[in-house]
Amino acid sequence: MTKHLIGLGVLLAVGMTYPAIFPNNLTIAISVLLFAGWATSWDLLGGWNGQVSLGHASFVGLGAYFVAIGQSQFGLAPWWTMAMAAAFAAILAYFWGWLTFSLRGPYFSLSTIAVAEILRLVAINEEWLSGGATGVFIATLPEPFGIDLFSRTAQFYMALAFAAVVIATVIVISRARFGYQLRAVREDEDSAMAAGIDPTATKLKAFMLSAALTSIGGGIYGVVLAFIEPHVIFALLLSVQIALTAIIGGRGTIWGPAVGALVLIGAGEMFRTTFAEANMLIYGILILVVVLFVPRGIVGELARRHIRRLYAKRAQG
Amino acid sequence: MPNVLRADGITVKFGGVTAVNNVSLSLGSGEILGLIGPNGAGKTTLFNALTGFAPMHSGRITLLDRDITALPAFKRTRLGFGRTFQTERPFEELTVLENVLIAAFLTVVRRSEAEHLAMSVLEQVGLADRAHQPALDLNLARRRRLELAKALAVKPKVIFLDEIMAGLNPPALREMITFVRSLSAQGLAVLMVEHIMEAIIELSDHVIVLASGEKIAEGTPQQVTSNERVIEAYLGTD
Amino acid sequence: MASLDIFLQNIANGVLIGGVYALIGIGLTLVFGVMRTINFAHGDFVVLGMYSAVLFNALLGWDPYLSLLLAMPIGFFAGVIVERFILSRVIDAPPESALLATLGISLIIGNAILLTFGGEPRSVQVSYASSTFSIAGVNVSMVLLLAGIATVIMIAALYVLLNRTEVGRAIRGTAENRLGAELVGIDTRRIHSIVFGLGVMLAVMAGVTLIPLLFATPTNTGAVFTLKAFVVTVLGGLGNVGAAIAGGILLGVVEVLGASYFMSEYREAYGLIAFLLILLFRPEGLFGRTVKRV
Repeated sequence: MTKHLIGLGVLLAVGMTYPAIFPNNLTIAISVLLFAGWATSWDLLGGWNGQVSLGHASFVGLGAYFVAIGQSQFGLAPWWTMAMAAAFAAILAYFWGWLTFSLRGPYFSLSTIAVAEILRLVAINEEWLSGGATGVFIATLPEPFGIDLFSRTAQFYMALAFAAVVIATVIVISRARFGYQLRAVREDEDSAMAAGIDPTATKLKAFMLSAALTSIGGGIYGVVLAFIEPHVIFALLLSVQIALTAIIGGRGTIWGPAVGALVLIGAGEMFRTTFAEANMLIYGILILVVVLFVPRGIVGELARRHIRRLYAKRAQG
Repeated sequence: MPNVLRADGITVKFGGVTAVNNVSLSLGSGEILGLIGPNGAGKTTLFNALTGFAPMHSGRITLLDRDITALPAFKRTRLGFGRTFQTERPFEELTVLENVLIAAFLTVVRRSEAEHLAMSVLEQVGLADRAHQPALDLNLARRRRLELAKALAVKPKVIFLDEIMAGLNPPALREMITFVRSLSAQGLAVLMVEHIMEAIIELSDHVIVLASGEKIAEGTPQQVTSNERVIEAYLGTD
Repeated sequence: MASLDIFLQNIANGVLIGGVYALIGIGLTLVFGVMRTINFAHGDFVVLGMYSAVLFNALLGWDPYLSLLLAMPIGFFAGVIVERFILSRVIDAPPESALLATLGISLIIGNAILLTFGGEPRSVQVSYASSTFSIAGVNVSMVLLLAGIATVIMIAALYVLLNRTEVGRAIRGTAENRLGAELVGIDTRRIHSIVFGLGVMLAVMAGVTLIPLLFATPTNTGAVFTLKAFVVTVLGGLGNVGAAIAGGILLGVVEVLGASYFMSEYREAYGLIAFLLILLFRPEGLFGRTVKRV
């Protein structure tokens, strides 16, 4: 636990100085941090609790829309609308999970796509609610303590805070009762019930927390984009991207999703000129590599090797 | 002796097949009830119905005079049931201690206290020295003890043991028999499904014999083993 | 009277579109029935079929139906290769692994097409694209009718293959019980390859028959078809070929009727809602035998 908190401290320290050192590479760093936060939130449900969702873009979209509409229509500051989005996302996740958690494995994943697609269609078609297919534009933002929220630096710190809070949440949960309940349900529901754990309630809690955290990142994303289009923010591809980031990095590990975000966004940037819009090709290739050769993901595999080595050492000594 | 567990007229049907038909039983604290019968007699089904893992067609179950018939398995655990599984099901990714910790978290929320409880249960079953190994690495006899530790860590009033003796070598079997006796000495009510007659005869205060889902005999171990219907059921159908 | 005409017109369109959906759904359901794998790349294979028709048309000036002659066998072998080198290696891993592998294949196909053809929508112009003829006051599009005929021929051929040949028996045996099939000497690995090849071939064929009607885009169209295939197969019952046909037609009719009588913007949603409802309340499908919940 202390080890992980030190890691988080290092991340924050590096993060605080980053804008001063690389003032021209802020946009990509924001991407990495947002994806790290989203994938880590996804992993609470997908990795720690074993329920693979392919609909998390819904919560990103929800956060972004709350912030954009709150600001443009009602003049509400982003921090209020983010809190509202988180609450609403948790409520949505509750009903969504209540509806779909009777399904297991691939059927659950399929149902998440269907729900997310229906939400996307609502966002596109209900103009009174979402501004319709043309989207919503954020023209003004408040300036707390004189900070310009349109500046990339301010947005970078928001994204950094978001990623850090989500990772800290997972660090705490991984050691706590709830973290063990999550894993017990993932491993074997019958066995979990024999330990007095309610599998459905556990999944619902995980889904609600995961959704709420994701939507806060979505709110920051809304500020970063300043212009929100439903087909971009509710895209199936974004849901897939979030899930694959966590899985490639290492499901059910504290740092896996963040490492996944760094690797995937980094690789996307490196091949940006080669692949242009086709940068999801990297996700496709890497997920195949992971499924075939590194089923635990990057960090999961490293952790396993580390444990093996410790064992070997202990056996010798 | 007051009843801890009482089950009346338990009937379980799968499709059109009646797997358990109108079986009743009761169990007091410190008492050991053995459940035996040939393969396919419905022992495990009855066991699962009692613990809430198989849906019941009719019947009534009470725990300390509280009707728990309609409660799901995890709620029965919270009220005082502990169970093992016939095919041991450790959480393989986790260490031995963490496996027990999950169960210990049922009664305590703080991690340090839960760890303390889990360690004391591991000491009780003799796995304390393996606490930090992955559960995956345990051999059969130790996996059985881990199952027991998980069942005990929820601090049950009734413990359901599903063939925990099967496949153990003689010394391990002796240890297990001694251990189960110590549980009843602590006041736990024990319900065991078992094929090993040695263990049943030595441990049970009371034995119920099932065949084709029906209770065909019950009584002390001596009474049932000399019962003609029981002998017939074992020799005739199996 | 006019409203009856419109109703019949809608039904006819729904049934014909549904026929193509059925073709897409059969491929997915066949693969699921035998391999227990949900193929996320299925829609991308449909798109691959569309682009193969675009390619043959651009290079050789072929009509889409002529390019079927080449596209179908190529699709079959592509499927066999994908199964051999990727899916066969994860078939015994947890079910998610196969799902993730096909998700990867989906992303690779879509983005490879994007790199090759660019992002702008493509189609093949055929002389009969807008020709229709009317039967009893109902206008039928030539393209849809041809697609319908192709679907019927393909389904008949598949029926013969599954029910009248040795390979078909082996496929059905493997679907029924893989271990049992192996015990009686069926090489289930080979059957898996064949079945995945067939699945891809059916997807490619659906894509080719659709190209005169629809524009193809590299990544979005694939996801749309994959979703439709899921809807069709879940409507009918996963793993059941006959039911996929009924599911396809049902989806076509539900979409067309829903769009014309309620809100047309939600055309896509009607199928998805039906899909969710069935997944939740009748996971074995409307026409499927009762199966164990996974």
